[in-house]
Amino acid sequence: MTKAQFDDLIHAPVRLRICGLLRQVEQMDFAVLRDTLDVSDATLSKHLKTLAEAGYVSLSKAASVSRSDARRLTWISLTPAGRNAFGAHLRALQEIAGITDYTQSPGRRD
Amino acid sequence: MENDFEGRPSSEEAAASLRDLGADRQALADGVQVPKMLLAALGGVAAWWVAGAAGANPGENYEPPTSGWLGLVAALVIAHLIRRETGIRFRKMGPRAALVMAAIPVLCLILFSISLGLGSFGARWAVLLTSLSAFGLVTWLAGIAFRSALDQLRR
Repeated sequence: MTKAQFDDLIHAPVRLRICGLLRQVEQMDFAVLRDTLDVSDATLSKHLKTLAEAGYVSLSKAASVSRSDARRLTWISLTPAGRNAFGAHLRALQEIAGITDYTQSPGRRD
Repeated sequence: MENDFEGRPSSEEAAASLRDLGADRQALADGVQVPKMLLAALGGVAAWWVAGAAGANPGENYEPPTSGWLGLVAALVIAHLIRRETGIRFRKMGPRAALVMAAIPVLCLILFSISLGLGSFGARWAVLLTSLSAFGLVTWLAGIAFRSALDQLRR
């Protein structure tokens, strides 16, 4: 079981939501993440940069046949360190919220 | 511009954050369009493979058609295209999706065997029916698997 550890870097609202969505998947396209969070490209890029610098997310580019210009699809995923940090942060939130039965927590998945 | 969070949240704020994460998962799953054409393409590959039994000669010198490998490659390409179209590479698809995904090749093998049997009795025309069945059933099952994976995203 992951030990609870509050992470100030993750807890910024948009970054918390980014990690929450990425935790559910192996990889997600930048555009899908942006549309789900309903934020601008610049805002999402800024927060992804912060998470990437902390080693919590990784970004990879892939060619897109549906685009005529040079832009590429950007796939984003949580790194193992990011997954662990987010899991520990979730536990900290659950403890703060007083949720002792983790199976009933809305943030729980594993 | 958003400020970074400073200090620990209250229990109400922590509970609200957890609820928001659940809402985001729901929004993600709701926002994904089921790639119906690509799922139908999977059904098409299955139909094409089953139809290949019409040209086979079951018996002592039976050699399985190489279309099986081509079908496998085509299915992998379609799976890749589904990921590209939806923008999501699933981490866990859930037990129901896994069961359905395992049932698809079994179903195809059964329909292929029936088709071989029909061919050996000279009823090659009837392979059209097994081929159409493969198309319909695989498209339907692939849709169930995809929707199950979306349900898994919500949890």
